[in-house]
Amino acid sequence: MTAATLFVNPIYLSPTNQLWLMLPLLVTVAVIHKTMRTADIRRLLRDVLVLVAYMAAGTVVLAVVLWLVMTHWPRS
Amino acid sequence: MARRKTSNPHPVLVLALGWLIPGAGHVCIGRAWRGVIIFLVIGATFWAGVGMGGVLTVDPATDRWWFYSEMCAGAHGLVGWYRQHRVYEEVHLPEMPRIANRAEAMELRQFHMNRILADKGVALVYPTDVVARAYAGVAGLLNLLCVFDATVLAAMGVRGEPHRQRDAQEGEA
Repeated sequence: MTAATLFVNPIYLSPTNQLWLMLPLLVTVAVIHKTMRTADIRRLLRDVLVLVAYMAAGTVVLAVVLWLVMTHWPRS
Repeated sequence: MARRKTSNPHPVLVLALGWLIPGAGHVCIGRAWRGVIIFLVIGATFWAGVGMGGVLTVDPATDRWWFYSEMCAGAHGLVGWYRQHRVYEEVHLPEMPRIANRAEAMELRQFHMNRILADKGVALVYPTDVVARAYAGVAGLLNLLCVFDATVLAAMGVRGEPHRQRDAQEGEA
């Protein structure tokens, strides 16, 4: 993949590993949210890290709950 | 030292600028650093999506709802749409049979279009389309949030950083 085709042709993403691409999106959401909401911009980095940790943990918990439901849901 | 008197920008101006250039709304209300961060993060997220999905990431014909959210990214979305439009213009479709049903005719046209785009190597397919459009679309939705925030603050007459306002109020008291 050359730089010339980078924004023209799609790149191949593995279906199994694409969930990892959710992490940068979490960081983006956290940065934008805290940029608007934090009272003091000098504390932005700390606030973002805390929010990313919360969001990542929440996502993992949600994934585990959904996995348990999918695995143990009684089938008729 | 005499304080420089600055007038508050009109909320409609903040809304328009904030949409067109992500972060410009916050710059207008005196929160420059926040505006710069918003500009960089939204731009990086949007173009990361286009980098993954290619020129057809912004495509109203394929995924209308993601397209609407991508358009919320202002100039980024418009540039993405223009690039997609240029690609569609370059496609020369073969002679189509006359079909009375308009929906069927459009479907046939889109089928040929997709085949030609796939031959050119620009067609966006699963799973890349999901990730690419999520990145570009989320960037647009986040900009919508920023525009809303800046516009409401401008309408309330808020200007400058909150801690500076607090310091100024404490100084006056």
